[in-house]
Amino acid sequence: MEADDADFSGRSPILRDPYYPSPNYTSSFSQAHGIACNTSEKKPRIAPTCYSPPDPAMYALGSFLILLPVTLAAHLTISIPASPPVLPNPASLPASTHATLLGPPGVYLDTPLTRRNTFEFSNLTVGSHLLQVYARDYAFSPYRVDVSLAATEDGDTERRGTARIEQELIQVWQTFRGNEWSNLGPKIVEGTDSVTVEIGPVGRKEFYIQRGGFNVLGMLKSPMILLGLFSVVLIFGMPYLMENMDPETKAEFEEMQKKSPLTGSQGAAAQIQNFDLASWMAGKSAETESSSGTQ
Amino acid sequence: MLSTLLTAASLLLVPTLAVFADEAWNVDYHFALLGAPKEETSFFHQPNPSSRASLIYTLSEQHALGAVNPRDGSLVWRQLLSSDGIAYRNSFLRAGEGQDVVISGVGHEVAAWSAADGRLVWSLSTEGPLEDVEILELSDGKETAGAKDAIALSSGANPTVQRIDGASGAVKWQFIIDGSDAPYQLSASSTQIFAILIHKTILGYVKLRVVVLDRVTGHKVDEYSLSSENELSTTENIVSVGANSASPMIAWTDSLYTTLKVNVVGMKSMQSFDIASHDDSPIEHVKVHAPYHVNSLSHFLVHYQTATSHWADVFHINLKNGKVEKAYSLPKLAGRGAFSTSTSDANVYFTRVTRDEITTVSSASHGVLGRWPLNTFGVVAGIGEQVEPIHAASEVSVKGDTVSAIRTTILLSTGDWVMLRDGKGIWNRPEMLASTMVVTFALPADAAALVQQLEVEAHSNPVAAYAHRVQRHLADLQRLPSIIVSLPQQIVKGFLGTSADDLTASDTFGFRQVIVCATREGRLVALDAGSPDKIVWNVNVADLQPGQSWEPYLASRIAGVVEVSSRAGAGIQYNATNGQPLAERLPVVPEGPQVPSSQVVLYTVHDGTLEASYNRTPAWAFTPMHGERLIDMVPRPVNDPVASIGKVLGDRRVLYKYLDSNIALLVTAQDSMGTANIYVLSTVSGAIIYSNVHTGVDLTIPIASIMSENWFAYSFTNEASDEASKGHQLVVGELFESLVPDDRGMMGATTNFSGMQTATEPFVLTQTYQIPEVISKLAVTRTRQGITSRQLLAVLPDSNGIVGIPYGAVDPRRPVNRDPTKDEQAEGLVRYTAVLEFDPKWFLNHQREIVGVKNVFTSPALIESTSLVFAYGLDIFGTRLSPSFSFDILGKDFNKLQMLATVAALAVATFIVAPLVMRKQVDQRWRFL
Repeated sequence: MEADDADFSGRSPILRDPYYPSPNYTSSFSQAHGIACNTSEKKPRIAPTCYSPPDPAMYALGSFLILLPVTLAAHLTISIPASPPVLPNPASLPASTHATLLGPPGVYLDTPLTRRNTFEFSNLTVGSHLLQVYARDYAFSPYRVDVSLAATEDGDTERRGTARIEQELIQVWQTFRGNEWSNLGPKIVEGTDSVTVEIGPVGRKEFYIQRGGFNVLGMLKSPMILLGLFSVVLIFGMPYLMENMDPETKAEFEEMQKKSPLTGSQGAAAQIQNFDLASWMAGKSAETESSSGTQ
Repeated sequence: MLSTLLTAASLLLVPTLAVFADEAWNVDYHFALLGAPKEETSFFHQPNPSSRASLIYTLSEQHALGAVNPRDGSLVWRQLLSSDGIAYRNSFLRAGEGQDVVISGVGHEVAAWSAADGRLVWSLSTEGPLEDVEILELSDGKETAGAKDAIALSSGANPTVQRIDGASGAVKWQFIIDGSDAPYQLSASSTQIFAILIHKTILGYVKLRVVVLDRVTGHKVDEYSLSSENELSTTENIVSVGANSASPMIAWTDSLYTTLKVNVVGMKSMQSFDIASHDDSPIEHVKVHAPYHVNSLSHFLVHYQTATSHWADVFHINLKNGKVEKAYSLPKLAGRGAFSTSTSDANVYFTRVTRDEITTVSSASHGVLGRWPLNTFGVVAGIGEQVEPIHAASEVSVKGDTVSAIRTTILLSTGDWVMLRDGKGIWNRPEMLASTMVVTFALPADAAALVQQLEVEAHSNPVAAYAHRVQRHLADLQRLPSIIVSLPQQIVKGFLGTSADDLTASDTFGFRQVIVCATREGRLVALDAGSPDKIVWNVNVADLQPGQSWEPYLASRIAGVVEVSSRAGAGIQYNATNGQPLAERLPVVPEGPQVPSSQVVLYTVHDGTLEASYNRTPAWAFTPMHGERLIDMVPRPVNDPVASIGKVLGDRRVLYKYLDSNIALLVTAQDSMGTANIYVLSTVSGAIIYSNVHTGVDLTIPIASIMSENWFAYSFTNEASDEASKGHQLVVGELFESLVPDDRGMMGATTNFSGMQTATEPFVLTQTYQIPEVISKLAVTRTRQGITSRQLLAVLPDSNGIVGIPYGAVDPRRPVNRDPTKDEQAEGLVRYTAVLEFDPKWFLNHQREIVGVKNVFTSPALIESTSLVFAYGLDIFGTRLSPSFSFDILGKDFNKLQMLATVAALAVATFIVAPLVMRKQVDQRWRFL
C-alpha cells in the first residue's frame, strides 16, 4: 500500500492534473528529483553532495522512493544538422525555433533551441510521444518518440516493489499525419536512457504568392499569340515578298502553286471550295465533270 | 506520404487564398511587444564582451524576456518564459559583467540565454519557486573558464540554495535551509554567500535571518539575526537587499517612513538615519539605487517619493569598517522622479529623470555633470494628463568631468517605453498594448458626422431639410481652399498609386477605423487601422488602485462614439477620434466571473451551472452531467449577417441552412474520463439541438471553438486510440433544416418560427480533420452583408501565427471515399482527406512572428469584400482580408500606369493612323468616281 502511494506521488507530476493544483505538486516533483539523484549515476545536474544537512525526514523519504522504477531518466537530444540545399547553416535559425513533445494527456513539453543547435528533452515519461519542430521559415516532418522500460530477461517489465534500476528504451520513428498511430514509420534511432537524433528540415516555407502581372515576353511566348503573329506576318508580308521577287522566280513560284495539290486549280482546297453539291447529287464525279467540261 | 500528396493536390483545387508578396508588410501591421518592463530586470548590457555595442535587456511583467536594439527600438530576440499566462510573483534577470549570456529566473526555472541571439544555453528547474537568482561576480577559481557561476534560492518545502555551473547548468552544490522561515534574497561576497530569510516573530513582526554559506563547498559557516525590534511589520518595508555591488547591504524603514535602517551584509550592526520630511504629503515609497558591479564605488542613492514631489539622499559605505555615511542630498522637485544608476570604470553616476529634465550627477559629489531639458516625452496622453516617469535605465559615456552622451530608457505613466538620447526622443514602444484585454472598432467621428447629418435631412420636412443642406454645403465651402491646395498632390497620387493606397484622403472603404483597446492598467488606447504606426489617443479611464483589477467592456453602438463600461457599471462614452470623454469618470465595480453575453440574454455561471436570463428574469439553466465542467461557450455573434438562406447546389437546387440567431456552442469537459462534450444549445429554450462526445482528449491543451452563420468549429488534442491517431483535430459542423435539397423539412409550411413552441432539430453534418498543431483560439472573418465567403482564423501558438483557413477547405460536405460528382465540382467541393495541412501561404502573419495572441477581433469594412482583423494578447497584429478576393475594389493587381500607357498608346496610334485612313478613303473616292 505504501509502495502504491509512493508510486502515485512519484508519477503525479507527470500525469499533471490541472484541476487539482494541490501544493503537493511541488513537493512530489522534488521527490522525483530525489530519486534520480539517489539511483542514477548518469545525472549530470545534481552533485553528489545532494543532501548535505542530514535530515531524518529526507532519509525516510529517500528510502521509500528508492522502491520506484526510474521513470524520469530518459533524455532525448534532437540536433539540427547543416542540410545544405535547404538549411546550410542551422545557426541562422531564430531564437523562436522550438520543439514540442506531446505525450500522454497532460504531458506537453516545449523546449527552445539551444546554442548548440539542439533541443534537449530530459526526464521523459514512459509512453508514446509526438515530436514536432517549429521554425519560422522551415517545415519539419513529425516524429514519434516511444519511451518504454527495457524488457528484462524474462520479459517482465512490471515493477516488483524492489529497488531495481531499469533502463529506458527510447525509439524514434518517423510518422505521417493521418495514419493510425499503430502504423509505425521507418525507425530513425533506438537507444537506452540518452538518445541523440538528427532531424533536418524537409523544406522552406513559401509564404507569398506573386501576382500574375503584365509580362510582354511571357505573352509573346504563348502559342496562341505566336500563331496569330505568324498569320499576320503571312498576310502582310506575302504581297511584299511577291512584289520584291525577280520575275523569273515569280513565274516559277506561280507555276509551282498551280501544280501544288493543295492550292492549284486541281488542288484539294480548290475542290472543296468549288464543290458542286448538285452535280454530286446527280452522281457525277468531279473527274467526269471536269473531263466533260474540257470536251 | 500518399496522404500528404493527396492533400497537396486537393489544395490546388481550392482557390488559393494567400498573402500577396506586394501586400505583405504594407497592408498588415505588427507591434512585437514585451509588456511593461520591470525596473529590476531592465538594463543595458554588452552581448559581445569584446564590443562596446550594447542592447537593452528586459524581463517584463508578462514574463517576456527580450533584447531591444537601443538605436531604433526594434526587437532583437524574445522568449516567452510563461506561455500559459501564469503570473509569478518573482522574476529575475541577471547579466554577469563581460558575459555573453543573460540568466533568467521565472517560476521554477533558471535558464541562461545567449545574449546575442536569444538561444538557450542551459536550463535547470528547481524544486520550489525561485526567490532569487544571482551571479557570482568575483571568481574563486572553481568556475569553468569564461563563465561565471550563478546561485539560486528557492522556497517551497525545502528552501534551497544552489550553486550552478555557468557553462553547463549543472548544480555544483546545494544547501537545504532548515526551519520554516521564508527565503527572501541572496547576496554574495568574494568568499561567502548570504541567504537572507524572513523570520516572523510571535508578535507578528518580521526579523531578518542571515545564513552565511561557504562559496566553494556550500557548507554553513555562520548564522545570525538582525534585530529589527518592532519596526519591521511587513516585508514591504524592506527597501533593498543589495546583491553584487561592492558592498551589499540591507535597508528597511518603519511603516511610517520616519527612519531608514541600513545594515552592511556581513556586519551584525546597523545604522539608522532619520528621513527628513520635505513635504506635507506622506512618503509613498522609498527605493534604493545601487550600482550592480563589484568593482564600482560602494555608493548608493535612496529615493523618496510622495504624491506630489520626490528627493533623494546619496550614501557612501566605508569598505574598511562598514560604516555608512550620508554624502549629499538631491533637492526636492515636483512630480514623480526616476533614478537610474550607471557605472563607468569604478565611478558611479546617478541619472535623475523628472517631468522636465534629465540630470546626471556623480556619486562622489553633488555637482551636476550633465543637464538636458525635456519638452515632452513625445507620447500621446489624455487631455490635461501629466506624463510622469515611472522608472529608468541609463547608459552614460563620460569624457573628463562631463557626461558627453547619455541614453536613457524610461517607462512612462502612459505605459509607453521611450528612449531618450541627450534628452531627445529616439523611439517609443507602446508596451501598454501588451496588456490589452478587450478591443472594439469604431468609425472615426468625422465619417460618422456626415452619416448623422444625412439622417437628420432624411427625417425632417422638405423645407427644413433643404435649409439644412444649404447650410451644410456652405460649411463645406469653407474647406474649398485647402482642397484646392491639395488637389495637384492628389491627382499625382491618384495617377501613380492604386485606389487601395488612397487611405489618407477620405475613408470610402471603411479601412480607417479607430481600434480602441482597453488595457489591464485601466487605460483606453486608440489606433488607426489605416495608419497604425502611431497611437491616436491614450487616456486613463479607470483609476485603479494597485492590486485592483477591472473587467472592461467596450462597444461602439453609435458611429463615432466608443462606450466603455466595467462590469455592472454604467458606461461612459468617448469620442472615437480624439478620445474626449462625453461624460465623467467611470466607476469601477468589483466583478465576478463573466461569460460572453449577447444583448438580450445574460449568462451567468453558478456552481458549474450555466444560467440564462432575459431582461433579468431567469429563463433556463444548463447543468452539465456529474463531473463535467464548463470550458467555453460561444453564442452566435449578435451582428452576423447572412446573405443567403440556402446553399445553392451544382444542379441549382437549394439546401436550406438552419439559421437561428439564438444558438450557442458549449464545450464541457469531464476530467476523470478525459472526455470533451460539445453541445449546440438553443439559447431561447435551452434545448440541446446537437451534442457530441470525444474521448481520450488532452484537457490541459486548449479547446478552441467558434460559431457563426449555420456552422460551428472546434479543435482539440487527443490521445491515440482505435478510431483516431494521436494529434490535434479540427471538427467542423454545419446545420441544415433538411438534407433533402429544395425541402425545408418541418419548417417548410410555417412562416413564423418560435424556438419555444416548435422543437425543430437541425440536420447536422460534421467532418473531422487532423491538423498539424494546436489551435488556441478560433475566429471568423466578418463582412458587411455576409455575401463574401468566410474564412476561419485559427491562432497557432506553436508557430507564432494566425492561419486563415478558407471555409471550402473544411466544408463538411466534401465527399468521402469517392471523387466529387460534376455537380459537386461545380460547387467547388473536393474529395475529403483526413489531413488538413496548413499551407504557409494561409499564414496571415507570413514572416512576422506573433507571440502570445489571446484573441482575434474581426470587423467588417464599409466595402463588402473586406474584413478587418485585429489580434491582441502580447503582440498586436492587424491586417485586411478579402476571403473572396477584392471584387469591389481595385487592388494592387490593378496597374494604373499600365492602363494609362495603353490609353496613351491607343491615342498615339489613332493620331498616326487617322491621316492614313483619310488618304485611303479619299483615294477610294477618286477611284470610284
